[in-house]
Amino acid sequence: MSNKSPVPTADDPWAPYTPDRDNPWNRERVVHLHRRAAFAATWEEQERDLKGGPQQAVDRLINPKSSALKEPEREFETLARTIGDAAMVSGSPARLKAWWIYRMLYSPDPLGERLTLMWHNHFATSNRKVDDLVLMREQNDIFRKFARAPFGELLQAVLKHPAMLVWLDADANRKRKPNENLARETLELFTLGVGNYTENDVQSAARAFTGWGVADGKFTSRETRHDTSEKTLLGKTGNLNGDDLVAAILEHPATAKRLAWRICRTFLGESPVGDRNQTALANGLRAKNLDVGWAVETVLRSQLFFSQQSLRNRIDGPVEWAIGMLHSMEQTNPPPSTLLLAEWTTKMGQDLFYPPNVGGWPEGRAWLSSQSVVARAKFGAALVEGRLWYPPLTPDLHKLVRRHRNSDALHDSVSWFMELLWGESNRDTVDEIVDAVVSKPDGDKLGTAVAILLARPESQLS
Amino acid sequence: MLSRRDFLHRTSLISLAPLVPSLLGRIANAASPDADAKVLVVVQLEGGNDGINTVVPFADDAYARNRSALRLDSEKLHRLNDQVGLHPQMKAAKELFDDGRFTIVQGVGYPNPNRSHFESMRIWQTARLDAEDRGGYGWIGRALDADRARLAPGQAGAIYVGSEQPPVALWGRRSEAAAVSNISDVSIPYSVQKLIPTSSPTVASEAPAENLQLFTTRQVLSAYAAAGQLQRDLRSSRASTLKYPDTQLAEHLKIVSQLIQSGSSARVFYTSQGGYDTHAAQLQTHGGLLRDFSEAVKSFLDDLKANGLEDRVMLLAFSEFGRRVKENDSQGTDHGAAGPVFLAGHKTASGLVGSTPNLSDLEDGDIKMSIDLRRVYAAILEDWLHVDSVSILGDRFEKCSLVRA
Repeated sequence: MSNKSPVPTADDPWAPYTPDRDNPWNRERVVHLHRRAAFAATWEEQERDLKGGPQQAVDRLINPKSSALKEPEREFETLARTIGDAAMVSGSPARLKAWWIYRMLYSPDPLGERLTLMWHNHFATSNRKVDDLVLMREQNDIFRKFARAPFGELLQAVLKHPAMLVWLDADANRKRKPNENLARETLELFTLGVGNYTENDVQSAARAFTGWGVADGKFTSRETRHDTSEKTLLGKTGNLNGDDLVAAILEHPATAKRLAWRICRTFLGESPVGDRNQTALANGLRAKNLDVGWAVETVLRSQLFFSQQSLRNRIDGPVEWAIGMLHSMEQTNPPPSTLLLAEWTTKMGQDLFYPPNVGGWPEGRAWLSSQSVVARAKFGAALVEGRLWYPPLTPDLHKLVRRHRNSDALHDSVSWFMELLWGESNRDTVDEIVDAVVSKPDGDKLGTAVAILLARPESQLS
Repeated sequence: MLSRRDFLHRTSLISLAPLVPSLLGRIANAASPDADAKVLVVVQLEGGNDGINTVVPFADDAYARNRSALRLDSEKLHRLNDQVGLHPQMKAAKELFDDGRFTIVQGVGYPNPNRSHFESMRIWQTARLDAEDRGGYGWIGRALDADRARLAPGQAGAIYVGSEQPPVALWGRRSEAAAVSNISDVSIPYSVQKLIPTSSPTVASEAPAENLQLFTTRQVLSAYAAAGQLQRDLRSSRASTLKYPDTQLAEHLKIVSQLIQSGSSARVFYTSQGGYDTHAAQLQTHGGLLRDFSEAVKSFLDDLKANGLEDRVMLLAFSEFGRRVKENDSQGTDHGAAGPVFLAGHKTASGLVGSTPNLSDLEDGDIKMSIDLRRVYAAILEDWLHVDSVSILGDRFEKCSLVRA
């Protein structure tokens, strides 16, 4: 492998990216940025960012509100709220999923939705047990509202919301009869991570959480159920309560470390992130009150993020993949059926609001189970055949190509789609795909070619 | 090693075929070394099966006394001994019984029976009696957590066949359950057909740290190859002489059989048959359900046998509760307590287990439990799935003798 080093300079492993001969600002990197930090990019967005340069491209994702989108954004929020409210009235989980899919398809803040998705997986809560759409939506809005906030604000908001309290049996956790569920998962999954606490810490944390529960659909802290006896917890001793526990957790260096891990994993996939990088990011987080927005920006602006080794080194999750393909191919107007899209992402292994367990989706290579892979290929076929719309509506892919290219000959068209989705094309693969479809007796050859493109291994990676 | 650039500029995916391990016969994943692992298939009889009219204690005088409209003619029962007989519609089950492939565990329940469908189902699915513990993980989910090391992340340890969410029984702290709703889930589009490597694999090496592009190529292509193979298998098995009855349960069990045959990594399959909540005009409905159940199970076992899989698979059928001994005024029965559990398979001990319920010795109008459901689960966990039952059930329960050595 041509081993162009990620070049974190000796003094700053998160040195910002500046284009050079080995790491030029090209379509490949534009596609990379948008597939990692948004829902891929249309041809026009790619052209815009190619001209504007990396600084502007990242700015736009980091600060979507500063761009001139005020009016459309208000419209989007109003419409999204209406859809969300209708989902609540319907009582149908499918409509709640469709609501979020709608947000991801049309939000002017795609990075915010990607972070919401990250937190949904980090604090994985399933409606199969919570069984309350209002609570699930509220929790989702917490993830969105605090997506870039200091982690302490997010953690407080999530732990003191009924969705999490129901999910992890807070009400069953009482004085002299502790239930460790919330305590254990908070330490193991949400904050410190395995190896950074003892079993005694878990027991003490459970006792500290006693009294936290749900009354009338809201968080409550019941003094009568709280275990007021002395506890020793992460090195602190006293009559500690839930707030004391959260404070101790936030101070603990392992929390910053785990946060750095989560952010690196989300944006860098399998890129070679060394210990040095994670430690530096964790130290920065600690110095900045666990400011997630800062950490995300640091990663997205970094030389490491845009290095040759980072490209195509992450497996897209089903939701970001499906939404990204639709968005980049400009197939969002007329809108596809968000209900159908939610069904498809479920088949691909990501059922929104129903993560497999409290550990969340394992992500990464685990996304590519055989059933999920085949579902992705089927999704691609459904897309080009118009079966994501209700009623079905075949997309005019020729028209799309003609809008951006002079020629819509089959070779040229396949090559264009490859550039759009992968950031570059190559003659041999184009030939291979064209060969596969020219023999197909019926149907739209370009549509079939695009379906093959989407089904190929290369398309699963960003 | 395949570089990123090679990955994008490879002339043909076909040339990668030799890198694809074990293309055939693996739908769920490519890393399970455990092709001979035991498989448990659970059939949930939903609504509360009237055990008394399923395994009928015809010799008990109290039977006729309590069941006037619903009494089954003892001459038509499939007698198992001089005390009990199976419902007349359970001919297929009786054949399995005579063939040593069907076990009936009598009077299975739990202390302080709960007569709510939801609560009682939770208890059966979690094997937790304490109300506050019932929100937790399922007994199978916990078993799969204990068996977690065997599976790669993202690999489903259990597959639910049906159109709803996987049941609580399969929820684990870390283990995962997948859902398959119908057979069209496994048919493949043209694009996939075009990407299936045509040459057969030669290398099956799999270094865990291999680069991501190579992993992805291999995983995607082997998934397509497996899907293609499964589709061919399905076509040929559809055309085969092994006929399943035309019922939903049979269709689901057929899918289970096909998934097992295709080498699924799942150790547990779960499906259900609804309709047992027979409060009124029970006679016809209940008979039909038992016939569908018995015939589906028989077809399933015969199918497995024809494919040489009979030693690997055990089927467990249970219902959330039995029904009241005394029938109601609508030719039906109301919610009861203990009831029979069935095991089917070549390796089951076969026969009648536990004592026949005494219809005159009741508790709140219901027959008394003679076997705690956790004794049944302990046997399946220890003797079939080979996991420690104590950590899963929270205590040691004396195993029933349900599995043949």
